[in-house]
Amino acid sequence: MSNLQILQITFYGAAILLIAIGLYAVVTKRNLIKIVLGLSIMDSGVNLLFITVGYISHKTAPIFSPSVMAKYKTIHAAAQAMVDPVPQALVLTAIVIGFGVTAVALALVVRLYRHHNTTNIDEIRNLKW
Amino acid sequence: MVATNHILVTPIYFIALPLFFAFLLPLLGKIYKSFIRIVPGLMFAYLAWMAVVLLLYVYKTGNPVIVKIAGWAPPIGIDLVFDQFTGFIATVIAILGFLVWMYSYLFKKVEFDNALKYFLLLMLIYAGSIGVVITGDLFNQFVFLEITGISAYALTAFYRGRDGAEAAFKYLLIGSFASTFVLLGILLIYTQLGTLNMADIARNIDKMDPTIKVIAFILLFTGFGIEAEMFPLNGWAPDAYSQSPGPIGAVFASMTSKAGLYALIRLSFTIFDFSSANELLFIMGILTLVFAEGIALRQEKIKRMLAYSSIGQIGLIMIAFSFNTYLGVFAGIFLMLNHALVKSLLFFSASFLAYNSPHKYIKDIQGFARYMPVTALMFGIGVFAIIGFPPFSGFWSKFYLLSAMAEKNFVILIILVLSVSLIELVYYFRVLHKLYFAEPTGEYQPHTPRWNAMLAMVLLALIIIAIGVYPDLVTGFIGKAAHAIMDKTTYINSVFSI
Repeated sequence: MSNLQILQITFYGAAILLIAIGLYAVVTKRNLIKIVLGLSIMDSGVNLLFITVGYISHKTAPIFSPSVMAKYKTIHAAAQAMVDPVPQALVLTAIVIGFGVTAVALALVVRLYRHHNTTNIDEIRNLKW
Repeated sequence: MVATNHILVTPIYFIALPLFFAFLLPLLGKIYKSFIRIVPGLMFAYLAWMAVVLLLYVYKTGNPVIVKIAGWAPPIGIDLVFDQFTGFIATVIAILGFLVWMYSYLFKKVEFDNALKYFLLLMLIYAGSIGVVITGDLFNQFVFLEITGISAYALTAFYRGRDGAEAAFKYLLIGSFASTFVLLGILLIYTQLGTLNMADIARNIDKMDPTIKVIAFILLFTGFGIEAEMFPLNGWAPDAYSQSPGPIGAVFASMTSKAGLYALIRLSFTIFDFSSANELLFIMGILTLVFAEGIALRQEKIKRMLAYSSIGQIGLIMIAFSFNTYLGVFAGIFLMLNHALVKSLLFFSASFLAYNSPHKYIKDIQGFARYMPVTALMFGIGVFAIIGFPPFSGFWSKFYLLSAMAEKNFVILIILVLSVSLIELVYYFRVLHKLYFAEPTGEYQPHTPRWNAMLAMVLLALIIIAIGVYPDLVTGFIGKAAHAIMDKTTYINSVFSI
């Protein structure tokens, strides 16, 4: 097995493992904070998956810095030597969204804790679940 | 000819203005307290006017208005598409946005902070919903879906005293699954095609690996289905509807669920080329309809009942679109319009009916018609319109739905729709009976609506009756919209011709 294959298996495996761990936490844990953590881990897994998909072996970061331009001379040649920038841009957006959702979720947990004096989801059952 | 760069009238404002003023609102509130009510109102009024102008332009010339953002032409840049179909739905959302603002103009009159939060979130949920509808980029649509989602969570948890936080947390959990599904679906499409533009995906969709195509479709369909309140992923909806402030029930029914529904339709009709997508829409529609109407019958609380009835209507709309015939799509769009108008009127009036009863049970509102005759009348108009009595708009939407079914010889479906209407009749008339014919207990003194809320309700009722009496007011627009969504090639060509 080549180094590239090992790298790919590691990254795809890690991403899927993270999604699985997050899913497991959301489904089985009863503590609200742990559920929020699970959501966060799930998000990270998806983000890692995005980055892995955009990776092309032996290529550099998609930034037209002076050193890169000096090495490759033309913009076209430099672009050929770079990984796909779109997934990275998407992941940046997804991270910010994930941050927002986590913040709202934690604020809701605080609200729930003040109202019910517990973070156990089984004890918060005023509504039908 | 495509008008892209008009300075006063461009679809960008649907997104840019609400976001801009939402961030500016706390500052404006510092200058003059009433600005937090007046400025959103001016903005909503302007956008509603702009939507009508754009829709008339698109309707008359037959050319969609397509905007490329930051000068990058699609498929590289993001484009906003305001065509006959997206434009029609965006216009419905824009007009409803203005009416919701009018209804809640004096909302939390003495509590400045709460009013600020409310108007801020109202503008964000509006921007997100319209964004989902007019964007031409799949990832952009995901971002707008999240804007809608996060503001919806916050609005659900608006009241501290109720179980709002619990409902919001439940909504957030399901919503996060939705966004993960959508993101994974987008990822699969991107790995295969290397593009995120909807038109570009649509014209290259046959280059995708068949298995991955199916998985991507199911992921996206599930993700957007959650936002559209599709069965069985709608457990959040009744709680969110009943825990959020009164006018937000109307927002969920007329804006967010329409946005989710639009995304489902765009997926099935334009982006993917499965013929079985219609069958999936059909099956999910039937399940959603039967499940929701069945549960609505057993509801004791008025807002939960309205929420389940709303989910049932979504099922009906999905069934109409699943026929994939001109008449079916026409009926589906008419149903969308009718649902947005009528359900808003019902939520507007019901939240005043349930305002002072602490538990919001249906039995608490008995005899309220004596205290507030106009609100009760508005609720009554809403009930008759949603069930489909003439001369209200609901009659025509159900009429076209039944003709679409008759055209395809679906006798069993016609019976199903008629019996569902009968179920609706039972549970809505139970409320009307309590409202009009039961003796008031005198325990609660209902609040009478203020002039602005009254005006919003009367306007909605007038629109409903006007469409009911002269359906030709809207059938022209709906007909063009139905042609636009069914014609995939024109959509793709018009996006790439700019």
